[in-house]
Amino acid sequence: MIEKLAQLHPEIALFAATCIVMVLGLAKSSFWRGMSVWVTGLGLVAALVLSFFSPQTDGMLPNSLPYLKAMIAAIGLMILPLMGGTVDRWYERTVGRGASFDPLRVTRGEFYAFYLLSLMGVMLCVTADDLIWLFLALELTSLPTYIMVAMSTPRLRSQEAGVKYFFLGALSAATFLYGFAMLYGATGTTQLQDIAIHFRTEGMGLIGTLGLVMALIGVSFKIAAAPMHFYTPDVYQGAASPVSAFLAFAPKAAGFVVMIQLLSTVGWGWGEHGIALPEALRITLWVIAAITMTFGNVLALLQSNAKRMLAYSSIAHSGYMLVGLLVGPGQGPIAGNGLGAAMFYLLCYGVMNLGAFAVLACLEKRDEHGELVEIETVEDLRGLHAARPGLAWAMTLCALSLLGMPPLLGFWGKLGLFTSGISAGEIGLVVIMGLNSAVAAFYYLRLVRAVMLDTRDEDMDRPALTDMFGRRVAAGLSAVGVLVVVIWAGQLQAASDHATEVNPRIRQFNERVVEAEETPVIESIARND
Amino acid sequence: MIDTALFAQAAFPELMGGITLYHYLFVSAAMFGLGVIGFLARRNLIIMFLCTELMFQGAGIALIAFSRYWMNATGQVFVIFVLTIAAAEAALALGLVVYLFRRRHTLDAQAWAELSG
Repeated sequence: MIEKLAQLHPEIALFAATCIVMVLGLAKSSFWRGMSVWVTGLGLVAALVLSFFSPQTDGMLPNSLPYLKAMIAAIGLMILPLMGGTVDRWYERTVGRGASFDPLRVTRGEFYAFYLLSLMGVMLCVTADDLIWLFLALELTSLPTYIMVAMSTPRLRSQEAGVKYFFLGALSAATFLYGFAMLYGATGTTQLQDIAIHFRTEGMGLIGTLGLVMALIGVSFKIAAAPMHFYTPDVYQGAASPVSAFLAFAPKAAGFVVMIQLLSTVGWGWGEHGIALPEALRITLWVIAAITMTFGNVLALLQSNAKRMLAYSSIAHSGYMLVGLLVGPGQGPIAGNGLGAAMFYLLCYGVMNLGAFAVLACLEKRDEHGELVEIETVEDLRGLHAARPGLAWAMTLCALSLLGMPPLLGFWGKLGLFTSGISAGEIGLVVIMGLNSAVAAFYYLRLVRAVMLDTRDEDMDRPALTDMFGRRVAAGLSAVGVLVVVIWAGQLQAASDHATEVNPRIRQFNERVVEAEETPVIESIARND
Repeated sequence: MIDTALFAQAAFPELMGGITLYHYLFVSAAMFGLGVIGFLARRNLIIMFLCTELMFQGAGIALIAFSRYWMNATGQVFVIFVLTIAAAEAALALGLVVYLFRRRHTLDAQAWAELSG
């Protein structure tokens, strides 16, 4: 029991910070209310440090804790300055002007507490070794995000987006819950390791396959992959840009981690060369990946709204990462580690996507009611270079990195996915991925052209720079990250490969079963003779 | 694997003797299916939410039936956690729906007009 607790130290740090933040957010003095964001950051730093000391586990991915938890905490820390001041901005201003303070009307404490709880859910998905735990962790990741979307701006469409996100989220939760129920029904246990051993000794059977496919389809909501991707543009558009940036990372990370955990119960030891998923799952994932990336990229082309464009691009990036999941950890001598590539790409995506949303969050203009709102169309970004060269460069770097332009971070991420796909023989999917990357160039370059080359007409009013300094910090962090993290790309890729090694105990079990299957055949031939 | 000859293993009362795992699974699949159909067909937010609850409970019935079949309590423990999550979701759904209703004065999902692609 104590050993298990040692795996949970980062989560415990986040939980302690959550409790403090919830109380601090209601404090009467505005100084203490303002401290809540710093306590949130402190909790994340503590979680980041503690995650490096995470022990090996006995789960499906025994080495995964340090890399994955540190990644979640680090990206969480990068998104935090962007989050600062998203809620309560107008209310704090009225209080500053001398209005009496009403604790019922502030939402800051809850907002940061939900942010931490959601990140805690993602970390718990990494630690999970049981279906019940996995279900609870996934729900802990997504329930706070529904509220964060609804409360992120006082506008009606944020609430509509929150309600829409919640309802489709509940649909997906029910779907993967039914899948989990069938996995339990097929194996009689909820322990992932026991499920893996059952699948290896007794085969998957109809109920097991059906359960796994349903669970994967349900979880594909979290990563915004087909067939559960329809909500993405509406929700990202309705939420405030910082929350959209968060939605593009946290639920996605949770979804991918859960998918890897679920797929590793079956293992990649099937197929002709013994390095593929079982055929039914391979085809399901192949189709999901191909549709997801094509759909995301083609629809992103048609958008004039930059937030919707980034939402569709987030769908497309999920499709790329699914290629890594399809390839698997590369047990054979020829296959590259697709899981490692996917997890490294998740880190790259977290860094570069943040910058694009941060630039949108940094600029404001007046809407038809005369209120300051974040800009969201490509039109608003035109000629940004003349007015705000720093932000224009941040947007350019992030867009080029999302496109996969060497030598930026996105290129190294994509490189791993391509090579692992090729080495596993998934040539068809790699070709689709290459074509999609070319299509993606059109709309990312449209963003670049708008900020760098276009000039703004004189009669249009300029978007104003927000007074929230943290947002500029986040944009800068992301732009610098796109350039600087490349230096450690090799080490991070190696760490990611190490993190996604499937438990050797189960692999040995797999080999023993193969041997045991071969012997009876020989015996039966001998008996017949 | 589930053997078709094996039914729920322990003795049921006389009247329920003929009820097997497959009856439970049929009920659970029917509940889940009705939930999906209702979710897609109805436009009232409360009804849509009730349909997702129906799907959750359908999964719950499957879990309990499997728990009985395998003669271990894990499935029943799972159901208790599922009920907790369902309760949390109910609180969240009603909160969001009431919040939206105060500003919109309708529960019709098709009245969502602000977001469009």
